[in-house]
Amino acid sequence: MDRHLLPEEIDQLLDGDVGFGTAPLKMHVRACATCRAELDEARALVRQLEHLPHFVPSTVFADRVLSQVQVFVPWHVAALDTVRGWMPRTRTARAFAWTGVGSAAVVLTIVSLFLLTRLDAVIFSIDLAVGRVRAAVGSGLADVVAAFFGNAAVHAFRTSGAIGVWVALTLLLLFAAVTARAMRAVVAGPRRR
Amino acid sequence: MTVSHSIELPSSYDLSTLPDADVATLAKEGREAAFRELVHRYERPVFSLIFRMVRDRETAEDLAQDTFVRVLNHIDRYRPEFKFSSWLFKIANNLTIDHLRKRQLDTISIEGSPHAQTTAEAEATSVDVRSHDESPLEEIESRELGTAIERAIAQLRPEYRSCILLRHVEGRSYEEIAATLDLPLGTVKTYIHRARHELREALSHLRT
Repeated sequence: MDRHLLPEEIDQLLDGDVGFGTAPLKMHVRACATCRAELDEARALVRQLEHLPHFVPSTVFADRVLSQVQVFVPWHVAALDTVRGWMPRTRTARAFAWTGVGSAAVVLTIVSLFLLTRLDAVIFSIDLAVGRVRAAVGSGLADVVAAFFGNAAVHAFRTSGAIGVWVALTLLLLFAAVTARAMRAVVAGPRRR
Repeated sequence: MTVSHSIELPSSYDLSTLPDADVATLAKEGREAAFRELVHRYERPVFSLIFRMVRDRETAEDLAQDTFVRVLNHIDRYRPEFKFSSWLFKIANNLTIDHLRKRQLDTISIEGSPHAQTTAEAEATSVDVRSHDESPLEEIESRELGTAIERAIAQLRPEYRSCILLRHVEGRSYEEIAATLDLPLGTVKTYIHRARHELREALSHLRT
């Protein structure tokens, strides 16, 4: 090569380009003091740039950012995280926990198998329990309805039977849905700013 | 919202070991720790890039904050096949360039009103650029920014400045810079070449 390197060729060497094209450039740099000095100078500049420090924002920067970010955690993620939060951190504690859970599972399986062999008695007991719970819930509900709407409402409920219960349940669900929607709109409000 | 793949959380909740794309996917799933991790990872590079562009701590913090708020509030738009950091730097650069353009429009002469008739009038309308209430940290930063190389970077055109900072301070490849700044690869190479040349010229007095 009978000339000095062009600026682009210096850049090629600076960027560490490889290939057939760079071999004669490298050879020239070894032989030419002017080009070698220029390349060294460019390399020194790059080194200086690469050693420039990062500046640090204020300590409250992350909190300020996160206070403006709308984080919507789906219920299944929250539930999973809660379960993960209960998991012991150390390996030994986890081993103990798994042993405990495993033992409980074995005991429950044995009890279930035992109950399956006495299915008639189990069904009778369940029927009895359901009947009692139903009576207790009905009586409690009647007390609540009587307290809020009077004995006439209790009588209307009893006479309307299942239809009355379904109407009340539908109204309750509608009320819950409207409330949930309103709360969601309130929460999403800042995001639409 | 679609999640391309499910990420296995490290048992100790140490997100620092996960690559950016996985942390971003966890953020998409609504995990606050993932949002915090992304801010923690990039607050310094993003703030430094903006600070070196605007040379004002308060403005740099505001712009960096805007950058993160925009990115994290639209994390559902992030596609894991692209580098998260490129997306973040793209937003940071766009906001900063917009700010610089706006500031250029708003700029008034620090020498005083061009309509001033006397020296006294010019002095009365001039802007005092010295800060009287710099904190010790800001003083240190002012001194840091006052070094020859920082001063030389500050003299570059904003486009050159973004390119050279991304290339040599953040260690990005030419292709990444082109994608980040929405510029053709050839333009990025030219900008970096010119920036290096201008920096060498600006620092030449130190070699003599």
